Amino acid sequence: MRFALQTVSLWLLSLASTFAAAEGGHHALPLDAQKLHDWLPVSNSIIMVWIAVGVIVLFCRAATKKMSLVPAGFQNFAEWAMESLYDFLENLMGPHLTKRTFWFFGTIFFFILVSNYLGLIPSVGTVGWHLEDGKGHSAGFLPILRGANADINMTAAMAFTFALLWIYWAITENGLKGFLAHIFAPKGVKGFLFWALMPLFLFVGVLEVISIAIRPVALSFRLFGNIYGGEQTLEKLMALVPEKLAFLPALPFYFMELLVGFVQALVFTLLCAIFLKLICDHGDEEHH
Amino acid sequence: MMTFLAAAAEQPGAFETIKTTFGLHGAFFAAQVINFFLVVFVLKKFAFGPIQAILEQRRTRILEGEEKLKRIEKQLAESEATTAATIAKANEDAVRLIAEAKEGAVAFTEQKSQEAISQAQQILAKAEAAGNADRERISIELKREFGRLVATTTTQVTGKVLTPEDQHRINEEALSKVGN
Repeated sequence: MRFALQTVSLWLLSLASTFAAAEGGHHALPLDAQKLHDWLPVSNSIIMVWIAVGVIVLFCRAATKKMSLVPAGFQNFAEWAMESLYDFLENLMGPHLTKRTFWFFGTIFFFILVSNYLGLIPSVGTVGWHLEDGKGHSAGFLPILRGANADINMTAAMAFTFALLWIYWAITENGLKGFLAHIFAPKGVKGFLFWALMPLFLFVGVLEVISIAIRPVALSFRLFGNIYGGEQTLEKLMALVPEKLAFLPALPFYFMELLVGFVQALVFTLLCAIFLKLICDHGDEEHH
Repeated sequence: MMTFLAAAAEQPGAFETIKTTFGLHGAFFAAQVINFFLVVFVLKKFAFGPIQAILEQRRTRILEGEEKLKRIEKQLAESEATTAATIAKANEDAVRLIAEAKEGAVAFTEQKSQEAISQAQQILAKAEAAGNADRERISIELKREFGRLVATTTTQVTGKVLTPEDQHRINEEALSKVGN
């Protein structure tokens, strides 16, 4: 297994160097994901998503192939990772919400983590074709693979899926009336004061709705910006020195990107969890 | 705020600019949503499902184990209490039995002593009676022998054959002189 991994890594590295050499020098990763086929909606980042899904499936199959009560190997690692995340979310959201929503938060965290790390593999975002217009001028660079989270479509897909589920969970936890009251109604006051403060809280509610609407946008751009920025940093650093030494200035930043990949996965998951907890808090109080 | 919303509405090109700049593409977005649901499905089916099931199973087993441990500890405590009570009762019984045995032994010893004393007294009485009888018999025999000797001596001294009446009289006189 180790031999196979080493072989693949060496192959990828040599392939990266070969392509880079063949294409002749530095090329910047475009800001947007690019279509690889004329009529299929398949972009270079979608290919990376599929690879990430494949990696996750292979790992999960290996981890859950021979499940036993006394875990070992992959199963042990998978259980440790999952249980750690579960406990972390349980401390944040409480047992009920965590049990109900872990499938989503677990998916978000592990998918972002795997995608971020896959995006750091040499050749992702750097191997591709230089495009030319009809007159022989450069029309940009088309990488074959692109980090999944370096594509705003992917991060937006996750963020807006969360937004829909967020509203669904909030309504099912609080009820429609509770959900609207949580946003618009005055809290902790009764009688005359309640009605007196109602206009103010309605206005605050409208602001809250705008805030809720902006959150998925902020989530999308935060993740996209960090990952795309990281990849750009690595590329720019490699361009600072001669090609033979291109790996050298980027090397320390690879370690930083490993950390960033983990932190961004955690931040996205954590923020989603906090948003959900905040909107469900009112309902919990009422239940109690 | 209404001004802000109105201003936002008056800039239809802003969203288009963002779309173009960052490559937000409807078809890609839809494809990525589908991909994301694929990831959700895969992880739920192959990872979260089985692993959470085994974690739950293990948690249940641990809880059951803890319950069993509590039950066993309780049973052990009960058993220890029962054993202690049994030992205490056995000790009490033993003490009581020893006391009873001691009392029985004293009574038995007393009884046997009395029996021995009684038997000894009987033996002594018998021995005394036998001694008295022997002494009486010997005395009679001595008297008879003495009488016969007196009669024989008298016959030999006097040279006279004594009649039974004489013998009887001489014996009586001799015996009265020597006493009992």
